[in-house]
Amino acid sequence: MRSFRLGALAASLLAATLMTPAAHAADAPAPLRADQAKFRELYKEFVETDTSITTGSCTALADKIEGHLKAAGFADTQITRFAVPDHPKEGGLVVVLPGSSKTLKPILLLGHLDVVVAKREDWTRDPYQFIEENGYFYGRGVADMKAMDAIWVDMLMRFKSEGYRPKRTLKLALTCGEETSWAFNGVRWLAENRRDLIDAEFALNEGGGGRTDGSPEGKVIQQNLHVGEKVVANFKIEATNPGGHSSIPIRDNAIYELSDALVKLRDYEFPLMLNDTTRGYFAKLGATRNDAIGKAMLAIVANPADKQAEATLNTDRSFHSMLRTTCVATLLEGGHANNALPQRAAATVNCRIFPGVSFEAVQKTLTDVIADPRMTVTKIDDRGPLPKAPPLTPQILGPAEKLVAKYYPGVPLVPVMSTGATDGIYLEAVGIPSYGPPGLYGDPDGNGAHGLNERMRAKAVYTGRDFLTDLVKAYAG
Amino acid sequence: MTKRSGWRGLVAGLALAGLLTAAGGARAAEAPLRPDQTRFLALFRELIETNTTLSAGSCTLAAERMAAHLRAAGLPEGQITLFSTPEHPKDGGLVAVYPGTSKTLKPLLAIAHIDVVEAKREDWERDPFKLVEEDGYFYGRGTGDVKSMAAMLVDTLIRFRESGYKPARTVKIALTCGEETNGAFNGAEWLAANRRDLIDAEFALNEGGGGTTDGRAVAAGGKVVEQTIQVGEKTFANYRLETRNPGGHSSVPRPDNAIYQLAHALDRVEAHAFPVEFTDTTRAYFRAAGTARDDAVGKAMVALAANPSDKAAEAVVNTDPFLHSNLRTTCVATMLDGGHARNALPQRAGANINCRIFPGHSVEAIRGELAAIIGDPGVTVTALPPLRPSPPPPPLSPKVVDPARKLVARYFPGVPLVPVMANGYTDSTFLGAVGIPTYGVPGMWGDPDGNGVHGLNERIEVRSLFVGRDFLFDLIKAYAG
Repeated sequence: MRSFRLGALAASLLAATLMTPAAHAADAPAPLRADQAKFRELYKEFVETDTSITTGSCTALADKIEGHLKAAGFADTQITRFAVPDHPKEGGLVVVLPGSSKTLKPILLLGHLDVVVAKREDWTRDPYQFIEENGYFYGRGVADMKAMDAIWVDMLMRFKSEGYRPKRTLKLALTCGEETSWAFNGVRWLAENRRDLIDAEFALNEGGGGRTDGSPEGKVIQQNLHVGEKVVANFKIEATNPGGHSSIPIRDNAIYELSDALVKLRDYEFPLMLNDTTRGYFAKLGATRNDAIGKAMLAIVANPADKQAEATLNTDRSFHSMLRTTCVATLLEGGHANNALPQRAAATVNCRIFPGVSFEAVQKTLTDVIADPRMTVTKIDDRGPLPKAPPLTPQILGPAEKLVAKYYPGVPLVPVMSTGATDGIYLEAVGIPSYGPPGLYGDPDGNGAHGLNERMRAKAVYTGRDFLTDLVKAYAG
Repeated sequence: MTKRSGWRGLVAGLALAGLLTAAGGARAAEAPLRPDQTRFLALFRELIETNTTLSAGSCTLAAERMAAHLRAAGLPEGQITLFSTPEHPKDGGLVAVYPGTSKTLKPLLAIAHIDVVEAKREDWERDPFKLVEEDGYFYGRGTGDVKSMAAMLVDTLIRFRESGYKPARTVKIALTCGEETNGAFNGAEWLAANRRDLIDAEFALNEGGGGTTDGRAVAAGGKVVEQTIQVGEKTFANYRLETRNPGGHSSVPRPDNAIYQLAHALDRVEAHAFPVEFTDTTRAYFRAAGTARDDAVGKAMVALAANPSDKAAEAVVNTDPFLHSNLRTTCVATMLDGGHARNALPQRAGANINCRIFPGHSVEAIRGELAAIIGDPGVTVTALPPLRPSPPPPPLSPKVVDPARKLVARYFPGVPLVPVMANGYTDSTFLGAVGIPTYGVPGMWGDPDGNGVHGLNERIEVRSLFVGRDFLFDLIKAYAG
């Protein structure tokens, strides 16, 4: 998972103190049902199989999963393993549970098996030991995202053993490389090489989910449906110069040219944009809060040209980023010796592009803003074709709303567009809209995902498992 | 050695003005070597072929070899000091003292560094550590910078000893290591700090001056068009500008940003112009060089020397980067770094500012000035080691300049001797800092292309070496009395 940040939102909801009904207060933990105990074993195995890029293997975990699926009755023909020779440890698996309908298109369930690197010496507990303590599961991947991975696998095995035959075919793709932008990305590979295998009307992925109020009881105050995300692109802006000896400076200097460009970039603000998801988000959230920000949210939905409302929302970094393309300088390099005039100076500019805006348009904007013909602006990474933003349809929203009302009564379901990036963009690039469903939830501090002592509430996992099972059944018919 | 970019005499202007009709080189046809020249050449060859790079060589070995020649010539052991420190056993050097007769005149010191810039065999046409004579040039690392002078100093004392010469002043020579490796052990700095008495002198001679041809070897019909004596130099310092920020994920930019904050600071540094300053030397240089040129810049040079607040003249002079730098402290951004990942807001950004400091300003004073220019307490400004001293410039004294001028007139009739302040730097800074004014001598000459100093295929014209040797010998005798 990448930078899924809605802490500000949870905090603001909390501040508004609107959420009076206790949603699932922490009761004494009930004894596990038999199916839950079995699921827990599977989840434990997932977490204890190291799938980090440095010391682990997604392929090894996929081997184990294949074994479980076959034991549950899946035929060899329903399971596809994949890996490329250059990345033998970064393999994955696609499994298909056929549906009965000849007309309805499949649903694709998606999960990445890889985890962020974790060092034993930095953690309080062994990151690759599944430990339950004080109502939490600890271990690398418990939150990001082996809980959902295990829920998907367990769900398909149960459907199989129960003899449940959905109308829609259910497909599950478990992949590697989501946490590493430079290694092999399984979803991208499938989208580009096995488009038919993963074809679906839509996909369910990480990115959604709920947040608690941060209290020990873990009151759930919000659930999100993740609908679309901004697109990442990195650009290099560069100045070159013949250089020379630093004892005789000349007027033209690559570093100064770059500095001028950066100052212009800092002062530039991309224009405000809204789409169905963000309009829905601000409308829903604005109605729940009684402060200036809430009023500004409603005002901006009613009139995107309301500069005063925009200025108010811009004071919050998350809202500011959700409302536009952003480009920010993240890396700087220049020169080759302390005593030589620089021959080259460059900055990497990381852009988070609002859905629907092209890479070329952003590049042109950067070029126009810098307005210095001596400087070059180049796109330096390739994440494939531009994704299409998934539509926010009642078909998707309806079942999710119903289940949130059932499992988390009184908790709003908010559609969100993520300012970060998930593997969903690779599916959207080949025409498979991807959604992050609600159901699971975390704490506002982020639960140590990507960091130390990653943890997940046991109750969130078990409740989320039931929720997602119901949700998939509702979508699959 | 002061980079060629570090000083410039009148060449361009004079050559353009077509003033130099007289042939420079005193010796006409190539004469067979005199016995003393043959012996000197062997010494020079030995020094060139003793690798003294920081990476693979040893100054200590070169110093020992030079000491052996002095001993062989009969210089008593008590007049030879070999030095090195335990931390830098290969960066040693040599001081030799040739006593004078006067009880009142203070000694004369002549220094030369014996270390050389790195040279890779595979990059050079010839082996850089073999002295190769070809087409009127000696090739090899250090031929120009500055083992030629080091060998001449040793050779001078040998000839003094053998001829029984009794100078009025005591003559001292110091051969040191570390001039080319800023930040490693510097022998001149060490002597100034630890053996001040041993090297005490009224004034010192060093590299930094010299002649320039019209682009052709003198033996091939070219001319020496000018000779310079270096009187003072700028010192330098590197400063690190740094900004810090809590950073965060780049998908949610924050209003403050380490890179933008740094960029803003750099814009301020770029926009700042340090004020015009003159030393006696640069004032004399601007007058002489300005008069010799027949263009707008020449007129502006003369006007500015007469009135440093003549803004119109300053604007004209500033169009020439060398002159611009010779008139003031300059500070320029040379390196940039920042950030740690493409997708993370930078937690840190930094730049190196390389300043060439006009004589009389301390490194700390310029640090304070940079901080004031930037005017943002969030941007730290730190002077990086090595912190060099910033001594006052040596006086433009007739006692030093006149004998040099007389010898230039004799050896290079019609060629002007121009006092210059270098924009670059030499070890003279360290001697100046302990009260020994140090001058870069004229004599040897090079070509306008720099003769591969610090670069590939370093060379010196054969005639420049031998004429330069005679010139330096006579100059030292003139000063020593």
